[in-house]
Amino acid sequence: MVRSALNRIFGMLVVMALVVTIVFVIVRLTPGDPAAVMLGPDATAADIESLRERLGLNASIPQQFLTYVGGILRGDFGQSIFLNMPVTEALMQRAEPTFFLTLFSLLIATLIALPVGVLSAYWRGSAFDQAATTLAMFAASVPSFWLGLVFMQFFAVRLGWFDASGYGGPGASFGERMHHLVLPALTLGLISSALITRFTRASMLDVLNDDYVRTARSKGMSEWRVVTRHALKNALIPILTVIGLTAALLISGAIVTETVFGLPGVGSLIVSAVLRRDYPLIQGALLVVAGLYVLVNFIIDMLYLIIDPRVRY
Amino acid sequence: MMKRTALAVATSVVALLSLNGVAHAQSRGGIIDVATIGEPPTLDPMASTADLVGIVTQHIFETLYTFDAKWGATPLLAAALPTISEDGTVYTIPLRTGIKFHDGSTMGAADVVASLERWTRIATRGKQAGEVITGIAATDEATVTITLSKPYAPLVALLSLNNAAAIVIPAANAAQDPLESFVGTGPYKLEDRVPDQYIQLVRFDDYQSLGGEPNGYGGARNQYLDEIRFVPVPDPSTRIGVAMAGQYDYIDQLPVESFAQIESGATDPVVLAPFGWPVFMMNTKEGLNSDIRVRKAIQAALAPEDMMIAAFGSEDFFSIDAAWYPDSFVWHTEAGTDAYKPLGDTETAKALLAEAGYDGSPLRILTSRQYEFHYKMALVAQAYLEAAGFKVQMDVVEWATLTTNRADPALWDIYITHSPFLPEPSLMGLMSDTSPGWWATDAKHQAVEAFNAESDPAKRVALFAEVQKVIYDEVPGYKVGNFNALAAQSPDLEGVTPAPWPYFWNAYVTAE
Repeated sequence: MVRSALNRIFGMLVVMALVVTIVFVIVRLTPGDPAAVMLGPDATAADIESLRERLGLNASIPQQFLTYVGGILRGDFGQSIFLNMPVTEALMQRAEPTFFLTLFSLLIATLIALPVGVLSAYWRGSAFDQAATTLAMFAASVPSFWLGLVFMQFFAVRLGWFDASGYGGPGASFGERMHHLVLPALTLGLISSALITRFTRASMLDVLNDDYVRTARSKGMSEWRVVTRHALKNALIPILTVIGLTAALLISGAIVTETVFGLPGVGSLIVSAVLRRDYPLIQGALLVVAGLYVLVNFIIDMLYLIIDPRVRY
Repeated sequence: MMKRTALAVATSVVALLSLNGVAHAQSRGGIIDVATIGEPPTLDPMASTADLVGIVTQHIFETLYTFDAKWGATPLLAAALPTISEDGTVYTIPLRTGIKFHDGSTMGAADVVASLERWTRIATRGKQAGEVITGIAATDEATVTITLSKPYAPLVALLSLNNAAAIVIPAANAAQDPLESFVGTGPYKLEDRVPDQYIQLVRFDDYQSLGGEPNGYGGARNQYLDEIRFVPVPDPSTRIGVAMAGQYDYIDQLPVESFAQIESGATDPVVLAPFGWPVFMMNTKEGLNSDIRVRKAIQAALAPEDMMIAAFGSEDFFSIDAAWYPDSFVWHTEAGTDAYKPLGDTETAKALLAEAGYDGSPLRILTSRQYEFHYKMALVAQAYLEAAGFKVQMDVVEWATLTTNRADPALWDIYITHSPFLPEPSLMGLMSDTSPGWWATDAKHQAVEAFNAESDPAKRVALFAEVQKVIYDEVPGYKVGNFNALAAQSPDLEGVTPAPWPYFWNAYVTAE
């Protein structure tokens, strides 16, 4: 197991090195100029040029890349051009809404998907199964910004139960901040539940027909125990994979939802950084997201080993 | 019809408010949340010409002069309008005394000199003025003198503007670039800023307001509110949502087509009519549009009425107006406007194009969907230009790319932009030889220099008519029309005068 883990970690490092390089190149290839955005619409070419010089954007590309990589190796992701603070600090500031939004969405998605998926498989072909399948297809095809706006319109505008946007003003308590996450978490949770439901159903169908399930039944075990202890436990590996991937997607994929609900999370930070061409911030944020993605995959791989001792890498 | 009535009501509510005919007594206290279009790129108003920067920072920092309700310059930190020497080259500015900065220190002539020097060093508009400024000196503790190499009438307007602004900060901070201490003299001071979440301003207790009545950005600045919080809500659909839900007290920059929705929601729509102009800027330096005959053909081909309808949906939200300034400004004139055809003149355009010997190479329109109305106007323009015989290439990019690409004359023939009506015509991009478009001809220089050198306001109005005539004659840009802006405010918020850069001193809340 230790060797498998070491192998995986080496693979992760290679992936991260590729990410660092690709992100750096893509960001530099994109037209647009942070200096022009910062100085506003009426700035002159000379002003823009002098700001570029000050921001270090006039150094040669290889020079900038070496500085950047050197910084990363020392744990320094650089300084955000617009926020005038270290990139790590900017990311830490945004970590809270993104972390809790991911957590809540995943909770909602799993709480819906697991029971629905299991029951769909158990009552295969029933009206319940068909209704669940249809709803899941619907949820999977709805764009998150649309569902978000619909929820906003209904729960915030019409009923006034929630705020439509933001993350609380100065001095907002933890509870108030979490209250702002309800609608976005519901949006993301419902949409993510579709995929997990489908996978749970498929995976359960596979194992429900297996011999050991029949054996368990013939021993006179209660249906509840058969389904939860024997079938679900063995169906869990593909389900876990999907939940893990969904978590990773939510960290980065919450971009649209965060923007719609005006949440100051990592997703909206990436969007504003891209629009302003805040190079260090784009690079840092994408690196962290990619890192989390890789990390989540790593954790899932390790979980396989624990859940199913037969798994070998 | 319903909508029209509602609009009339909304506009008349605004009219009532701006006449100071307020129904409720102003009460002290309260916190307001203002939804803005995003996070300002900086809080140093010298460092940016972005409107958003000006909107937020005008509460923190103040300038020597500002604009009154009729867009005339009026003293703010200065004690009076400047005394100008006979030859127009020496401006003597008396300062108000006893003005406190947010850090407790007192403003003196040395602070003003250091700030103005920083302005000519850093700010886009300051550098523009700096080309003619030869000296800034403190004559005594309460007087500053600006010496010019030649008469330059736009100076006071430049000193009054709130973006790339000539703000006064303590001399000790003037060397900072970027600015790190946000210490001004304004009615509100910066308490806290969490980027992309809020900017919190609180009342500055040692503020000394000018006496009398409020007058535009000038006159009395009453600090009724305890706190003003600017909250970025970058997504336009979300701004509509928060306006309907009544979550914020003031919501800036709503899409005009959402008027009916806002009307049915918890906040009241506020229409600022007219707000500004959309402009097609022509690249006079390189490519197709370096030929004046091609530019004239474009001017003839375009049909502003259809373009504005496509962009703004209803005549409630725009007007067709050839004059660069609407009639609410002293600068309004019809001089030279015959060339503007509301419905376009395809035949004339065809003739002009033939005369220019157009070879069929594509006319490149650089635009963005950041502002959907730019894009919609471009689509209609494309149809009319093609009808006149042009081959049109649409280069649709996002805004940051546009701001970079427009600086390169090899990349475009027309780019689309817009601006609120600027109180002083010299501030228009066209007036500068170096702004993208690079319009620099003898006729322009003659007209603009005469306009800039004249200090008598009445004579300047007549000289601007000459400038407008040259603009229509040489077509460095095409003004499409006037458009209105839509905002929304809580029924409990009073005392806000509709303005291109909304401000919240003098605002108060009537109920919690």
